[in-house]
Order: sequence, then C-alpha cells, then structure tokens
Amino acid sequence: MISFMLNGTKVVSTARANEPLLNVLRNEFHLSGVKCGCNEGECGACAVILDGRLANSCMVALGSIQGSKVITIEGYRTTERFTVLDMAYASVGAVQCGFCIPGMILASECILAKNPNPTRAEIQAGISGNLCRCTGYNAIVAAIGIAAKEGQGLW
Amino acid sequence: MVNGYQARSLQEALDILSSEAVIPYSGGTDLMKKANGNATYLFLNKVPEMKNIREDRKYIRIGAGCTFTEIIESELTPAILKEAAALVAAPAIRNLGTVGGNICNGSPKADCALIFFVTDSKLRLVSKKGERVIPISEFYLGRNHTILQKDELLVEIFMNKTGFENYCYKKVGARKALTMSRVSFAAILNMADGKITQCMIAFGAVGEVILRRKEIDDMLIGRTIPEARAVKENYLAAYEQAINPVQGRISAEYKKTVCMNLLGDFLDSKGI
Amino acid sequence: METISKAIKKKDHDSKISGQALYADDYVMNGMLYGRLLGSSKARARITAIIIPDLPEGYLVVDKYDVPGTNRVQIIQDDTPVFAEETVEFVGDPILMVVGPEYNKVESILENIVVLYEELVPTFNMRKADTVFFDYHYAKGDFDKAQDEADHIFEETFQTGHQEHAYLETQGIIAYPHAGRMVIRGSMQCPYYVHTAVTKALGYDARNVQVIQETTGGGFGGKEDFPSILACQTAAAALKTNRPVKVIFNRREDMAFTSKRHPSVCTYKVAVKDNMITGMGIDLILNGGAYTTHSSVVLQRALISSSGVYKIDNLRVAGRAVKTNMVPSGAYRGFGSPQTIFALEMMMDHVARKLGTESLEFKEKHMVKQGDTTATSGKHHFHVPLPEMIQRINELTDYPAKRKRYSRQSGRYRRGMGLALSFHGCGFTGSAEGEHIKPVVRIRKAADDQVEILTGNTDMGQGLKTTFCKIVGETLGIPFEQVLIENPDTDRVPDSGPTVASRSIMIVGSLLQQAAEKLRQIWQTGEEQIVEEHYVEPKFIIPFDLERFRGDAYPTYSWAVNAVEVEIDTLTAETRILGAWGIYDVGVPIDLNIIQGQMQGGLLQGIGYAAMEKIDYNAQGIIRNNNFSDYSIPTAMDVPNLVTEVINNPYTHGPYGAKGAGELSFAGAAPAYVEALENALGVDLNKVPFTMEDTMGVLREVHHHD
Ligand SMILES: Cc1cc2nc3c(=O)[nH]c(=O)nc-3n(C[C@H](O)[C@H](O)[C@H](O)COP(=O)(O)OP(=O)(O)OC[C@H]3O[C@@H](n4cnc5c(N)ncnc54)[C@H](O)[C@@H]3O)c2cc1C
Ligand code: FES
Ligand code: FES
Repeated sequence: MISFMLNGTKVVSTARANEPLLNVLRNEFHLSGVKCGCNEGECGACAVILDGRLANSCMVALGSIQGSKVITIEGYRTTERFTVLDMAYASVGAVQCGFCIPGMILASECILAKNPNPTRAEIQAGISGNLCRCTGYNAIVAAIGIAAKEGQGLW
Repeated sequence: MVNGYQARSLQEALDILSSEAVIPYSGGTDLMKKANGNATYLFLNKVPEMKNIREDRKYIRIGAGCTFTEIIESELTPAILKEAAALVAAPAIRNLGTVGGNICNGSPKADCALIFFVTDSKLRLVSKKGERVIPISEFYLGRNHTILQKDELLVEIFMNKTGFENYCYKKVGARKALTMSRVSFAAILNMADGKITQCMIAFGAVGEVILRRKEIDDMLIGRTIPEARAVKENYLAAYEQAINPVQGRISAEYKKTVCMNLLGDFLDSKGI
Repeated sequence: METISKAIKKKDHDSKISGQALYADDYVMNGMLYGRLLGSSKARARITAIIIPDLPEGYLVVDKYDVPGTNRVQIIQDDTPVFAEETVEFVGDPILMVVGPEYNKVESILENIVVLYEELVPTFNMRKADTVFFDYHYAKGDFDKAQDEADHIFEETFQTGHQEHAYLETQGIIAYPHAGRMVIRGSMQCPYYVHTAVTKALGYDARNVQVIQETTGGGFGGKEDFPSILACQTAAAALKTNRPVKVIFNRREDMAFTSKRHPSVCTYKVAVKDNMITGMGIDLILNGGAYTTHSSVVLQRALISSSGVYKIDNLRVAGRAVKTNMVPSGAYRGFGSPQTIFALEMMMDHVARKLGTESLEFKEKHMVKQGDTTATSGKHHFHVPLPEMIQRINELTDYPAKRKRYSRQSGRYRRGMGLALSFHGCGFTGSAEGEHIKPVVRIRKAADDQVEILTGNTDMGQGLKTTFCKIVGETLGIPFEQVLIENPDTDRVPDSGPTVASRSIMIVGSLLQQAAEKLRQIWQTGEEQIVEEHYVEPKFIIPFDLERFRGDAYPTYSWAVNAVEVEIDTLTAETRILGAWGIYDVGVPIDLNIIQGQMQGGLLQGIGYAAMEKIDYNAQGIIRNNNFSDYSIPTAMDVPNLVTEVINNPYTHGPYGAKGAGELSFAGAAPAYVEALENALGVDLNKVPFTMEDTMGVLREVHHHD
C-alpha cells in the first residue's frame, strides 16, 4: 500500500507498485482530468505536478511516490493561480479540443513557479513536452505570457 | 509493497538487490515505456547516497539518481553536461529521468552518457560484496548490454573537475525538443604552450555503443595547430573508417555525413 | 472589424480548462466491458484458421458472425467490412474483438489467439496498383491545341506522403444496449454517419439506434469515417454481451490502424506561350489504401483544386484513387486539395524559374479574379482578394527582397523564403448539399426563454459551439449566455449534415441564422417555440454536373497567402523555421480568436506535413513508427510566432458574411516551406515531406558539384 498526498489530502492506494500513476489517478481516484494521450511519456496530456515539478504520470510507477505530493488539474483548479491562467487562456481562445489542456495548465504553472517573468523561449521550452495538435501553440504561449503579466505577485 | 521495494538507503537497496529478483528503478522513464505488469521494481529514487552532487579533491561526483533537472540546476556540474541534459526530452521527462538510468539503459543514443564518454568519466559500481570504479568506456558490451552485475548498482559518476570548458556539443534530432538523438557529437580540445594536450571526441547514435576512439584522437596530442593540420587528413580518414552507423529508420549515410561534417567543422573552428 | 468578430470566451472553455469535460474514455458504466481489436498481421492474406484459446469466464470473442445486419460499414460505399471476412487487406485489418471485464486480461487473451494465413501478394506501390477504385477526368478548352501552339512544354512529377492526424485524443467508442435499442457514445465528427453505419450493421430500424457525441479531442478529418467502423464493431460486441462495451485505442493502434491523408503522385504538364501558361495537363494518383472510405470525394476535390488560384484556359485533368494493401486513406483537413496544390505551387515556381521570372510575379500574372471561369467551367462569383493579401504579406515579410538576397549564400547557415497561394472551395463538392445531405436545423426556445440550438454538428475543438451560439444570439438580439448548445444526440437533433468540408458555418450557420430570424419574428416571451429550417441551394450557383465535372463545384472559395522563412544548417541539414505567415480570407470571422486558432493550428499541421511527418512502412506493410517518438509532430519549440491575419471580405450568402475556414489554413504551408528550402538550396524540389535526410541528400549533391 502506497500513501501519498493527492491534491492536498493524504490517500492510500491499493494498486500494485508497478502500476503507472496515470492509471491509479484515473481508475482508482477517478481524476479524469488527467488524460492519456500516448502512455509512453511522449505527449504530456497526463502531466501532474509531482513534488513541485511537472511529471508525466504515465512514466511514474506508483511505488516510487510513497510520501510524495501529487497535484492534478482537479486540485490545481481551486487555486488563485489557476484563475489567472484560466482567464488568460480564455482571453486568447487557447483551448480548442481541450485534450492537451489540463497538462498544459500544469506545465504553465511550473513555468511561472520557476520564473514569474519568462521569455517567449522559456515558455516554449516549458511546454515543449506537451503536444498540442489544435492550436499551433501560439495562443497557449501568448496565454502564459498574459498570465505572467496579470498574475504579478502570485508567482 | 506488492511488485516493488522502496529503498531508503544504499545499504538497503544493495541488500534487496542481492536477495530478490528485482529491477532497479531510478527515474523509470525507460522502464515505464515498456510497461511490464509483472516487474518487481527496486525503487532507487529516494536513496540519498544516489542523489548527491558533490566535489572531492579530484572529482565532481554525481549521484546516479540525479535527474536531468538536478544536473541543470547544480552549480557543480560542467556546462557541457548541463547543455546535454537540457536537450533531453522535455521538462516532464527531465524531472524524472536520471543520469544513472541514462547510462545503465545501454543506449548509444543516451545524451548524457555521451558527455560522460567524451569526458572520460568513471563509474562507481557498488554491490553488497564491494565496489569498483571503472572508466565508462569499459562499461558497455553492446547495445542494451553492460558489465553491470545483477547485484550491482551504478551509484556515482566521477567527472574531472576541470578541462571541459572548450567544448563543442551538438545533438541532432527529428525536432527541437522531445526527440532522441539521430546523431550526437561532443568534442573537447585543450591546448597548453601552443600544443594540443587533450583532444576528446565522441559520437552518439552511430553504432551499438557510443563511439569514442582515443587512439585516433591521440594522433593530435602533443602537436601544434599547424602540425595537427598536417595530419588532419589521416585523422579524418581514421574516423571515416571508424564510423559505421547501422542502417535503421535513419539512413546510415545521413548519420555518417553529419558526423564527418561536425567533426570537420570542429577542427576548422580550432584552425586545424 | 464586424462586431460579431469580437472574440468572447468559448462555450466549452470552462469545462475543458478545469478538466471537467468528459471524453469517451472518461465514462465508466456499471458492468462495462473493455474491448480490444485483433488486427491482421499480414498486408494481404486469406484467413485459413483462427485458433482461440479457452476463454476465462466473462470473456468473449466477437467477429463477423456476431454482426446481425450486414457485415459492412456504410461509409460512401460499403466495401469496408465490420470484421474481416475471407481475406485481410492491410496490416491491422480488424478480424475480431475480445471483450471482458479486465483490460489487461483482454490483452493477454488477444496475444494468445493464433490466426493462420495463406499469404497473397500485396501491393504497396500506388503506381503499380491494379485495382482502381475511382477514375475521373475532365477538361476545359483544348489542351492539345495549347500544346501544339506552345513555345515550351514543361513536365514534372510530384509526390506527397501519408499524414497521421495525431489528434491528442485517440479513437474511442462506447456502445450499450438499452430498452431494445443500441446507444453509441464517443469521439466523432459525424454522429449521423455513425448512425447510418450502425443501423445497417445491426440490421436495426433507424429509430432504434441512438448516437451521442462526447467531447472530442480533435478530429481534423480523422474522426469522419473511422468512428463508423469502430462503432459497428463495438455495437456488435455490446449486442452479443448485452453489456456496455468500451473500446479506446492506444496510441500505437491509433497510429497504425486508422485513416491517414492520401499519399499522391501527380504529374503536371504545362504549355507556355509568350511566357504565359496556356494549358495544363494534370494526372493524379491517390493511394486509397485497402478500402474506399472517402477516396471518391477526396479525389474529386483534389482534381477540382488542381489548377488552384490560377486561370488556365485549357485544362485536361485526370486522376485515379487506387487500392493498395495499406491502411485506408481517408479525410484529412483539405481533403485532397493540399496534395494537388502542393504540386501546382511547386510547378508554378519551377516553370517561373525556367522562364527566368520570379515565382511570385509569375503566379500573380495568372491569378483568377471575380468573373473568371473556374477549372470546372463554373464561375468565380465573388471578389478574389489575393492582390491585397499579397501586398499585405509582402509588407509583413519583405518577401521579394529577402528572396533575392537568399538566392546567393554561402556559409554554414543558409536561409530561404517561400510563398504559396491557395484556396479552399467552401462546403461539399458539387450539389451534394442539396441532393444528398439536405441539412435541417432546429432552434428550440423553452418557456424560460432559453434558446437551444439543435444540429447534428460537433465541436471537436474548432469552436463550433461558440460560433453557432454567437450567430443565433446576435440574430435574436439576446445574450450569448441565453443560447445553449449540447453535444449532439441523434435522439434530439436533426441531421444537419456532417461536420466536414468547412461547411458548418457557411451552410449550417446560415440555416441557424435564418431559423433565428424566423424565431425573432414570432418570439413569444414565456412560451415554448420551435423553428426548423431546411437547406435551399442559393440561386446564383451554376448547377454542378458530377459526370462531366462542369459547373460550380463550390459556391465560393476562401483564399490564403502563406509565407515561410527557414534556415538550414548545412552541416546537419536541420531546418529551423524563422517565420511563418498567413493572410486569410474567410469572409467575416465569427470570432477572431477562433479563426486565429484555426489558422495557426492548420498552418502548423501543414508545416509538420512538409517538414517532418513521415509514415514509415516496412516491406511487409507494417507501419514502423506508430508512436509519438518516431512519428514526430511539431512541439512548441519547433515553431516561431505564427503571424496570421484575416482580411475582411464578407460573403453575401454566409451568416454575417462568413464562409469556410477550417481547412483553408493547411494547404499553403507545404509549398511555402518547400519553396523556402529551394530558395536556400538553389535547386528545384518536388516532394513532401522533405525531411532533413532529403535536405542532406541535396547538400551532398551540391557539394559534389562545387
Ligand atoms: C518521452 C521520452 C523522451 C526521452 N528523450 C530522451 C532524450 O532526449 N535523450 C536521452 O538520452 N534519453 C531520452 N529518453 C530516455 C530516458 O529518459 C533516459 O535514458 C533516462 O536517462 C533514463 O533514466 P531513468 O532514470 O528514467 O531510467 P530507468 O527507467 O529508471 O532505468 C533505465 C535502466 O537502467 C537501469 N538502472 C537505472 N538506474 C540504475 C542504477 N543506478 N544502477 C543500475 N541500474 C540502473 C534500470 O534497471 C533500467 O534497466 C526519453 C524517454 C522518454 C520516455
Ligand atoms: S499519456 Fe503520458 S505523456 Fe502521453
Ligand atoms: S487543444 Fe487540442 S490538442 Fe491542444
């Protein structure tokens, strides 16, 4: 049995230690905001924040996160920072099909947490593991820039 | 824990490794890709002895369990290693994947392994029975095949503290991020008193193992730039012979051309 | 800017950004079983035996014998089997499905099923294919005469490759029997296509099939025909087990076994007199893959678009879609026209160079304008704003000067600049809209005065929920929030035609505007009211004769000018995109953010198509790179800031002046990219994708001749 902090609450999972965290989150904890786009680490749709850093949950075996902190979109969406990103994304219409978006939002958070005033290149690098087939990335990059401006002091 | 053991110390990890049929799991980014529901993992990601980056008198000692991100953020790691680490995949993989895994997976495409090769770094392998420190060049037996014993872990990598400032590193992938190396190239050339004291070249993704041919590079050692220029043709010819990429999805011809171009350009940039 | 164009927060924004939107895989039902398909491992073979191990309790195999109606998927034709019959025709051709309560067990059962084959000789080379699915040709003027009188005749062949849609959400369907009916939910573009297909496969009365679209994670054409196939298979499984069955493809299955853009080989023969093109002979082959799916209509559009934005008086156009033992090709953004537009733009460029003129100048001399005849002897009824658009792109990019500068370079890094003109015929080809589709829309006002839009059209990210609600809200003069729209459910919405062909806004949006106008006139506060509107073909259209390819193939066209600037590292052949621009005419944008998103997304897909996306078949017909690491699509680091602008050119017959937009942004990217490579390398090129390895081939050649 593995216990970890999930969106601020201590949880215990009965899944096997070799089970990908992605499956645990979706199947056991019903966090369907964590998406599966590839199951091979290649798309970022399953990204979560693991101990403060972005991680593709399909690449994380449950057994490796005993005592760790995991934040998914379901936890993050209750934060003030989320509200800023939400408005920024909305203002440029950065959400199309939406499948990449939960991962993209968490990637955005990690970019800003590390650097509240990122350059365009830093934003691009920060989301480079989050594939988006719909937007051409422009609007997403712009939205993160807007959030950086609007969220002064939050990050 | 079913299907897994969480080691809290190196000693504990070695104990489990010597007594159980387990697979060492560091960052998991290679292992999870080929998800195996029957695997029993030995989780190393919280073993403190493998997470340090420190200096001793001679070396920078990098814990095998350090992630690419930790390499990039460390003040001790040399620029050449940081640059390679920063070009691995993307943040959500760099935050998980480790240099130890990068070496132990036995891939000739491994980006940080290339840097350890070109810098002639050493590996500290530890088992319950003892430990050995070997040059990385002796570690590989072939693709996905290393000298690592079943009960042995890679615990640290030793890099020389200086001498890597004059480097050239190039990773060629299918795109600018989230891509494996199609070809990678690293080179270091040092001079003292007008003579070449060190010339270290390595190529990744062109064979079963990362290509590092000291005996070819030795052709330039002890020479002045004009003297090196005089043997340049032989030097290049030797590499031309040594580089024989296997034909895969990326053509061998392409890989070889890129290797020779990058090598030629590196020499040109040094006036050779 | 028109007021309607002002961007607002999208209808589906909140549910998607918060992770609350439910996609097919997010549904879990009581007693649900999981299904997985067993596909053929041979490209062409007769099945001689299928050996199924003893199945554990609760696990079942579903195959052709379990399809109670017709074991065929109704697409345009019905040659696609639901489950393989005697033969298999491509690697992945579905033979059977294993279903059961645990996915992992389903997987391991699948691995233990043995299929014995008698192998037949497969065809992979479309030029050598002996089965021709479709063969069309048409002419205008007299191409023979143009050749006889020509000063020069140039001929060249161009090739384009497969492209994977790579929508982020893989294909997924859930089917369950309910009260004697079959319910299908899932990721799809066209619920009524699925409805038709499932009805036929189950042999049901149409009333007993219900199809509900769930939030769909991207389509781009890839969820146009394929969901019909998967829905038939899943429905058969649900029927047999009498349980809900869910089938979600993993990425590898999705990449290897679902439709792709048609590869093409296209030969252009061009007659030139007095430095002007007087005639073109065009011959196209499209690789249709194993089954016909949408090849007929893709071929039609490819052929109709093959002389692009140019006025060519003497045309002879012929094309075939042929069968190969590869994954069936299907719809993909642009629907055949990107293939011929690529070839055409390159041909224009090459002919210009041979005649000693600059490519853009040469193209400009041939551009169509309002009143000109189209390739199919129809008419360009409306203003063609290409000259203004070219002027604008020149302002933004300094194209002519850069192009000249880049034509002479040395050193490690070499730059290039390319430009392409393209168009997209809006809506279905020919008279399909009026003759076959006959779209219907409904608007229902509830007693609380909330207005609900009822159409069969889907939002898969392109913003249709938002644009539809804007049109209806604006027309009714009520706030956007008062207009509601749900994912379509065939029990509730009429068939307003599929969500394809850049038709939704222009056709369905128009009908909604009319319906809203009607409702406005009869509006009774506090009462429930329903209005319905049916499609009527606009009067100005010259009827299209599909037999002869004559008349207005499309009511109007959207126009695009694209430029791409690249930098090649001559040591490694890596190519960096320094800039990518697009100027677009989509009539009036119903929402600027949405249009920008469509333009930028399409532009980047087009760049991917041109630069890096390559499906890699081995000699056995297996796709080797069926994953995101080996099939590379652009990441955020592969693109510069995409500069896209729209010009205002209202279309009199579209809602608020809007016309087709979704596909327009794609076609220009590839020719602009390859033209930029040509500019940097100083050679003529003739294929996409043009990969780093291809570039290295050119560099080696050039080096050789230095
Ligand atoms: C999406 C994606 C992109 C990638 N891109 C790149 C890239 O650009 N460049 C690159 O080089 N690699 C890349 N990789 C591969 C991988 O991330 C790296 O090789 C990484 O360094 C592996 O480290 P890990 O800690 O995750 O390895 P793990 O998966 O934990 O282990 C890899 C192997 O090494 C063994 N092992 C690990 N640590 C030890 C130890 N200390 N002692 C003994 N054995 C050990 C394991 O048993 C296993 O066999 C990518 C992977 C993914 C999923
Ligand atoms: S699903 Fe984990 S990275 Fe794609
Ligand atoms: S919005 Fe569709 S993949 Fe990003």
